[in-house]
Amino acid sequence: MPGHSRPQSTGDFNRRSVIHSAAPRLDIAVIGCGAAAEGLYRYALGALESRGIARVAALVDPNPVRTAALQRHFRAARTFADPADAFASVAVDLVIVASPPGMHAQHTVDALAAGSHVLCEKPMAIGAPDAERMVAAARVARRILAVGMTRRMYPCLVEAQRLIAQGTLGDRLRFTYREGRVYDWPVNSDAAFRRATAGGGVLTDIGSHVLDFLSALFGATTATSYADDAHADGVETNCRIEVVCPEASGVVQLSWNQPLVTRLRITGSAGELMLDPGRIDALRVRRGGGTWETRISTATWPSDLATRGRGDTPRTHRDCVYHQLVQVLRAVTHGEDVPVDGERGLAVIRAIDSCYERATSFELPWLDAAERSQADARHWTRRRCAAA
Amino acid sequence: MRGGIAVLGAGGFVGSRLLERAAHAGRTDIVPVVRAARSVGRTANLGISHRFGDASRAETLERALAGCEAVVNLTTGDPADIPRTTENIYTAALAAGARLLVHLSSASVYGAVEQPDLPDDAPPWPGHWMAYARQKGVAENFLRERMAERRLAIVVLRPGLVWGPGSPWVLGPATDLLRGAAFLAGSGGGICNLMYVDDLLRGIDAVVAHREAPSGFYHVGDNETITWAKYYGALAAGLGVDPETIRAVPSDRYRTGLRDRVDELKALPIYKRARAWLPVEARAQIKRRLARVRGRERPMSSAADNAVGTREIWHLQTTRYRLPTTKFRATFGDHNMVPFPVGMAASLAWLRFIGIGLDEAA
Repeated sequence: MPGHSRPQSTGDFNRRSVIHSAAPRLDIAVIGCGAAAEGLYRYALGALESRGIARVAALVDPNPVRTAALQRHFRAARTFADPADAFASVAVDLVIVASPPGMHAQHTVDALAAGSHVLCEKPMAIGAPDAERMVAAARVARRILAVGMTRRMYPCLVEAQRLIAQGTLGDRLRFTYREGRVYDWPVNSDAAFRRATAGGGVLTDIGSHVLDFLSALFGATTATSYADDAHADGVETNCRIEVVCPEASGVVQLSWNQPLVTRLRITGSAGELMLDPGRIDALRVRRGGGTWETRISTATWPSDLATRGRGDTPRTHRDCVYHQLVQVLRAVTHGEDVPVDGERGLAVIRAIDSCYERATSFELPWLDAAERSQADARHWTRRRCAAA
Repeated sequence: MRGGIAVLGAGGFVGSRLLERAAHAGRTDIVPVVRAARSVGRTANLGISHRFGDASRAETLERALAGCEAVVNLTTGDPADIPRTTENIYTAALAAGARLLVHLSSASVYGAVEQPDLPDDAPPWPGHWMAYARQKGVAENFLRERMAERRLAIVVLRPGLVWGPGSPWVLGPATDLLRGAAFLAGSGGGICNLMYVDDLLRGIDAVVAHREAPSGFYHVGDNETITWAKYYGALAAGLGVDPETIRAVPSDRYRTGLRDRVDELKALPIYKRARAWLPVEARAQIKRRLARVRGRERPMSSAADNAVGTREIWHLQTTRYRLPTTKFRATFGDHNMVPFPVGMAASLAWLRFIGIGLDEAA
């Protein structure tokens, strides 16, 4: 296990409800067979099956073309259009909720009520009330609720945590986190771009990862100011957040349409650190204005469910998805902690909600004066103010 | 009541800026057409409805263009597809009953501007080494034949380098300058035929607004004559880069380098097939290993991935003359409102916004 601070336990009830088996083979259901299931989970699930660790028992999606496409890789899986039918027909140990974000809460609550543990893809929900409902359902069902924050598995995060804990950067930590490129996730519809179905834009999407990543480094995040560029019927494609954490403060800038210089840069009284989320195993560090030094992290995560099994260093994002899944299954079988539990997922959703509550218009420098005035007048919060 | 104005390629650099300007102006006549749902993401902040149509599949276009009186083709993509998509767009525009097709071509169809009074309807250079320019030329020839049929008005615009905030022609040179990889052919006296993106869009507006736009080819460009030395110098000054770091290379011959060979490899069909087959992660791993072999770190920026071909830049830097734009201005008026210093200031502000030049020294 990486030598960094582990997420807090999901509670004793999880340990009491875990499955104990010498050689467990767990059954998994996937709800939502779109881009996340196809692009992220398919390889990890295939690896779990080939290693005899787990089996995909059910694939659920209202679109039969998607379930059929995924079933080609998981021949034993039964396909369903409706989660209720799947829960009634197949008993599974873990449900991966990879449906559109607006449906995460209901699918998670139903899966927990059916007796399964849940790994919910990020964003956990499109608002704190839904996320709270999910956490409460897990508590009542005495089941694990994990949230898919694959960046927690990045070896560079472990190394950054170690350097910060050692005091390599000194104190008075400040950070700048930029992440952005032109949107290219292979979505099947424009549901990801509507507030009603997606909850928001780039903040909800990339921001979920970024706020969780910062909280893993510096403690709980609090937004002190937030600006975005969404018009009344749109979702934000650019946003800027000023963030305060117990151990640091700084600025986050995210974009769905600008090629931002993507990196996290942390400066302290004694040194600096730079980390590129596109390169998961390395970071750069320098002390006292000296030369930059590249550190390659060899932090490992368990690769199977054996109590003293081997560990591997994730080298790609897909590796991280696999190791995250293994870690969730280890929580199911051995009572270990999940990388991000429902409570921590809820904290991120609350931080996002807090941003939207204080949203102002983001001044984009390429707009002329008349356009800026229009952008301000058409900002989505105007409608909210008018409704209030 | 007038019909809508279909904009194909609305998810690209020029298209997304067109949508942004239209949304801020409160226009409701723009009909954005994109190939895939993900292309909506770039302008998702505007909350406007899109139609879906794939220019490589004619049957999807007819519905997308229904009810539109004008069609603006801003599509890019694989050079090999340009002639076919142009034919499909023309056919669909005709079927939709559009009165006008505005086709964004490129001055690159000539190679370089080698005479001061280059006619606007000069034929493309079919032997161009660059596939993009060759295929743009093929598409132009197709439209030239259709113009003679007079079934709808066809206006082909030939801009030079479309620059401004968001442009690869700002980002590429800027990243080269910051990496110490920028060069100038000869003394940098070659002409940089620029077209500021907002002025180009004002020009397109003028063409669409013209009720009887005459079919033909039109050069479009900025009003000032800017040399490459001036362009790079202004960027370098704004980025705090010492202009002495810009290398001088011969202007009479080009020496092919590793990057050109890689570009040639990338143009091969077998490379494209392999790229489509290889997972994104595997491609990223290969890139990283190649960077290590070359003895340098992978640039820690997604912005730096957007480089412009080295040979292309050298070739353009040997341009001797300014693109004459008299015909366009005489027909549609002069709609250029952004002088070079203002455009450069906006471009630099955009670079700072995306994080270029703020802490790149690290």
